[in-house]
Amino acid sequence: MHNLIRFFKRNSHIFLFIFLEGLSIYLISNNTFYQSTAISLFANELAGETNLRFHKIEHYFSLSSSNEALVKENARLRAQIASSYVSYTQKSFIVNDTVYKQQFEYIDAKIIKKTTNKRNNYFMLNKGRIHGVEKNMGVICPDGIVGVVVLVSDNFCYVMSVLHQDSRLNIKDARTKISGTLIWDGKNYLNGKLIDIPSSIPLQKGDTIITSGFSEDFPQGILVGKITSFKKDKGTGLYNVDIRFFVDYNKLEYVYIVKNFFKNEQKQLTNNFVKNE
Amino acid sequence: MSRTILLTAFQFILIAIFQIFVLSNLNILSFCNPMIYVWFIILLPTSTPKWIVVLLSFIMGYTIDVFSGQSGINALSLTFIGVIRGGFISLFFADKDTQSNLRPSIKDMGFTNFLIFVSIIVVIHHTIYFMVEAFSFSEFFFILLRIVLSSIASIFLILFFDFLFFKTKR
Repeated sequence: MHNLIRFFKRNSHIFLFIFLEGLSIYLISNNTFYQSTAISLFANELAGETNLRFHKIEHYFSLSSSNEALVKENARLRAQIASSYVSYTQKSFIVNDTVYKQQFEYIDAKIIKKTTNKRNNYFMLNKGRIHGVEKNMGVICPDGIVGVVVLVSDNFCYVMSVLHQDSRLNIKDARTKISGTLIWDGKNYLNGKLIDIPSSIPLQKGDTIITSGFSEDFPQGILVGKITSFKKDKGTGLYNVDIRFFVDYNKLEYVYIVKNFFKNEQKQLTNNFVKNE
Repeated sequence: MSRTILLTAFQFILIAIFQIFVLSNLNILSFCNPMIYVWFIILLPTSTPKWIVVLLSFIMGYTIDVFSGQSGINALSLTFIGVIRGGFISLFFADKDTQSNLRPSIKDMGFTNFLIFVSIIVVIHHTIYFMVEAFSFSEFFFILLRIVLSSIASIFLILFFDFLFFKTKR
């Protein structure tokens, strides 16, 4: 008995090690991201506050470039409003507003923490539940697609970037309209990969890739990237496509969170359909 | 004693802040992300009880995890370092040194010994970290490249800061 107690005393650090290692593995395996337990949400808020403070310092160094990007987008949007169009027809017409029902709304947000050099990358945004952000909302920026919201606390949220092992986004080729899936191989944050495109479709170098609009999280036609090279895989009859993202995720600063007003309805319909099958 | 605890707490905060807000934001190459927080575990006094080393390494790893939005990878790899550190300490230090409050540095170990000590620990840590991060062998070459480049950067940074903070008196 005495020896047993001495054994436990001498090797207490080994038992502590096993316990903590088990805890780490539990944290990793659970959803590959933390569960929304009280501790992790508190940690999220704390990390958010601190990151926000430090970001304010960092922000001054990129003021000019982010300003430039905003001006550019402003100019593009200004070109789209009604006053910048001249009517070519002499006929008068009525704009019937009730024909349109708004489907997407955008919540503007700022990135306060980001990584691009990991195998799995995340962004932290300064908007959370009290601003109307929910889990699984899409995130876009003026130049293209950014990711999907995975964890929300009161004031902040985490976004799973497209630069992630588990990121699978539905995209299509703007010219041929053929759809496929966007993944990231972890090598370079400027390049992505497309899979599930049948090789019977003639692709071209330089083709623009946009979102397909098949998922409820993103509107159709958000820019993704340009095809840089493609190869036929003889075994599967599918293409191996390399694309270059339009967005430099390392320089990204302001983003929009996409809110889909019809999402619940779409989800419900899908669920009912699955039940009936 | 209380001076040692204070100094350790100070080191913890400084190294964590440097790792989270400076190193994690650097993007020199996509394959190179140095992790200097291993230095915190290397720097602990040689007489620290083993279970405290293990506990501190978990806390350090989990802090990095929380602030950089990862889910326990840093905690897992650093806790492993915490448990094997004791063995290497008894390998590199004489028995009477392991009873005293020595902090492993170039000053106390000599350059070559310290370099070997740091290299072993950093390479083991980075290997576990990147293996778990990728969790597959399909990208083996790229994992290897990541491990090698990041290890070189981390070792260089640790040596550099050691020179900076613990100047050798001649």
